[in-house]
Amino acid sequence: MRKRRLTAALMAGIMVCGMLTACQSKTVQDQQGGEEETAQTSDAGETSGSNSGAPEGKQVLSVTTWDNESSPQFQAVIDAYEEENPDVEIKVIDTSADEYNNSLGISLSAAQPDPDVIWVKDMGSMLQMADKEQLLPIDDFIEEDNLDLSIYKGAAEQLMYNGKSYSLPYRNDWYVLYYNKDLFDAAEVEYPSNDMTWEEYYDLAAKMTSGEGSSKVYGSHNHTWQALVTNWAVQDGKHTVVEKDYSFMKPWYEQGLALQDGGYIQDYSTLKTANIHYSSVFKNQQCAMMPMGTWFIATMMQSQEEGETDFNWGIATIPHSKDTEAGYTVGALTPIAISAFTDQPDLAWDFVKFASSEKAAEILAKQGVFTGIPSETAFQTIAAAERFPEGESNVEALNYTHYSFDRPLDPQIEEIRTVLNEVHEMIMIHSYSVDEGIAELTKRVGEIKGWN
Amino acid sequence: MKNGKKTFLTSGQKRKIRNNMTGYAFVLPNLIGYTVFVFIPVIFSFILSVMSWDGSQRPMQFVGLQNFADIFGDRIFRGTLLHTISYALMTVIPTLILALLLAVLLNNKLKGVAVFRTAFYFPYIASIVAVGAVWNMLFQPDFGPVNEILKAVGIADPPRWVVDKDWAMVAVAIVSVWKYMGYYMIVYLAALQGISSSLYEAASIDGANGRQKLWHITVPMLTPTTFFVLIMLTIQCFKVFDLVYVMTGGGPGNATKTLVNYIYEKAFTSWEFGPASAGAIVLFVIVLAITLIQFSGERKWFRDM
Repeated sequence: MRKRRLTAALMAGIMVCGMLTACQSKTVQDQQGGEEETAQTSDAGETSGSNSGAPEGKQVLSVTTWDNESSPQFQAVIDAYEEENPDVEIKVIDTSADEYNNSLGISLSAAQPDPDVIWVKDMGSMLQMADKEQLLPIDDFIEEDNLDLSIYKGAAEQLMYNGKSYSLPYRNDWYVLYYNKDLFDAAEVEYPSNDMTWEEYYDLAAKMTSGEGSSKVYGSHNHTWQALVTNWAVQDGKHTVVEKDYSFMKPWYEQGLALQDGGYIQDYSTLKTANIHYSSVFKNQQCAMMPMGTWFIATMMQSQEEGETDFNWGIATIPHSKDTEAGYTVGALTPIAISAFTDQPDLAWDFVKFASSEKAAEILAKQGVFTGIPSETAFQTIAAAERFPEGESNVEALNYTHYSFDRPLDPQIEEIRTVLNEVHEMIMIHSYSVDEGIAELTKRVGEIKGWN
Repeated sequence: MKNGKKTFLTSGQKRKIRNNMTGYAFVLPNLIGYTVFVFIPVIFSFILSVMSWDGSQRPMQFVGLQNFADIFGDRIFRGTLLHTISYALMTVIPTLILALLLAVLLNNKLKGVAVFRTAFYFPYIASIVAVGAVWNMLFQPDFGPVNEILKAVGIADPPRWVVDKDWAMVAVAIVSVWKYMGYYMIVYLAALQGISSSLYEAASIDGANGRQKLWHITVPMLTPTTFFVLIMLTIQCFKVFDLVYVMTGGGPGNATKTLVNYIYEKAFTSWEFGPASAGAIVLFVIVLAITLIQFSGERKWFRDM
């Protein structure tokens, strides 16, 4: 009898232990994996070997990133910080871009000390987090350190919400026009200029369209994002994508449809059903031009570097409407913030300060990444990079005189974007006429904002 | 304490407790997992459905039935209910009939019947993400194989499937039927094995032909199975999420947005856990109602047998 009881207790014990150790060994593995990754990517290699076993006296700071492996935008700064602060180890919590906001939102709901530092993917999600009191206001830090915000040329103030600063600008991206020089040369057409109206761009797209079937080259390329139509509607700064009346978008949707129905850009439904990424269209030389954000520069430079592509490409200023001048562009900031639940706010602030400093800007510029500090030096560094397209006009194309956010700082913007995307899709596949789409937008955004 | 206990319990009771403890020890691992990952979250979502909460550290606000009033007042939610029901209608009956026909056909002692059974069962075990991606390509409106075939047989203007708001749900339903009919075919096959061959022999002697045998013996004898399949399929349809998410993402517009897509969006895009949980409770009530019908039905069949 006693033996049996003992066996039962023992078995239960083993099972419980088994469960615990199973969990434990997993976390240990994760940590090791993370450390290996940092060790591999850090050029000094200081973090490898003896340190990874027992990080004695080392402070660990955890940061959240998305798609860290596909772009150098985060790792370059993380490595530089670790090199400067050998007693700090940065733990990267990486999520795929699609799932980033969801997974971050859930982990912040748990109010755990990790993550400490948050790279914010959309300004809209920053407002959601600020509303939920999940971000640490950094006004006191700024004051204490006498941080000079003027280097951001107003971007830091633009990120303020309800009179408080929750973040500093990390990246800054705006729309430019990419083009394939080889295709223009072959067609004996002049390259897109840095001062084009949208009408001139439409004509150029028509001119550059050639071929049939699978070898067809399209004049331009619009990705499936609603931004590729609505951005131009807000480019002049007179409207935003949250309005009581959306009729200002009508000409832009008509033009987007005209490009598509004329066969000068790929069909929305084809892109959607085959789940085609814009970078593959440009890299495979299936389009002569493509309006896209400046983040694509780093992607193209990396692709040329790795030998994935070897055609000549260029950058032009994004076209402008007739009643504005060249240099009006649309863009967005990528802020960096601190979790309200962090257990080491001072260290987190130190990292945030570093990541948005001029020094980090220089490091990032070498990778073809633009930061929140717009400076001539940064432009020159990017232009001097080995894989940046040659020619003065490409550097000129990076300048802008007027900058509108692609979406306003509205706390309900994420919800509104769902509506914008749904209506955009319905218009592009001709399920709605432009007028029906605009009526639907006006109605549903009004419902969300409580206007009607 | 320990001594006091001893005097109250007889040795028989003690043995019983000890035996029970052994049993509990065995179910404990599963029970812990179920409690932590299923039971507590379910209870929590019941609580959330009458609260207003955005996932922050701020306390939840009790709002009573306001969340339910809100979602039923939301035409997007009513739309998702309709989409879910239409998906169920388009999926359940075709799956049921095709599964039955396949089972009857493959119940013969043909050569290579095992190969066919495997082939039809295969989609069921295939990854839903892969299945969705491949079918999306087959349904490609301009040069996809499905529309090429339709054009070849003389349909000049075939539907644009997943990028047509009227056909997107049909496309999803077709994939669902294709994917799940193999599973229910196996269920029917098992039931067919259980029908006594003497019934067919008797019918043959009476001069019944094949169709009469199917209609007057096979189908009635399979009624309990059909009922089971019907219920399981309906529940499965109301819970649909992954296939829609992979194939259309709820689009075009919100033409294929189902109940679960709505719950997901409310919770993780808008961070409104109250209305999201209220939606989940609505789903729970629907599934519960169907299950209760099944339970009462099952009692009926077993009493009859």
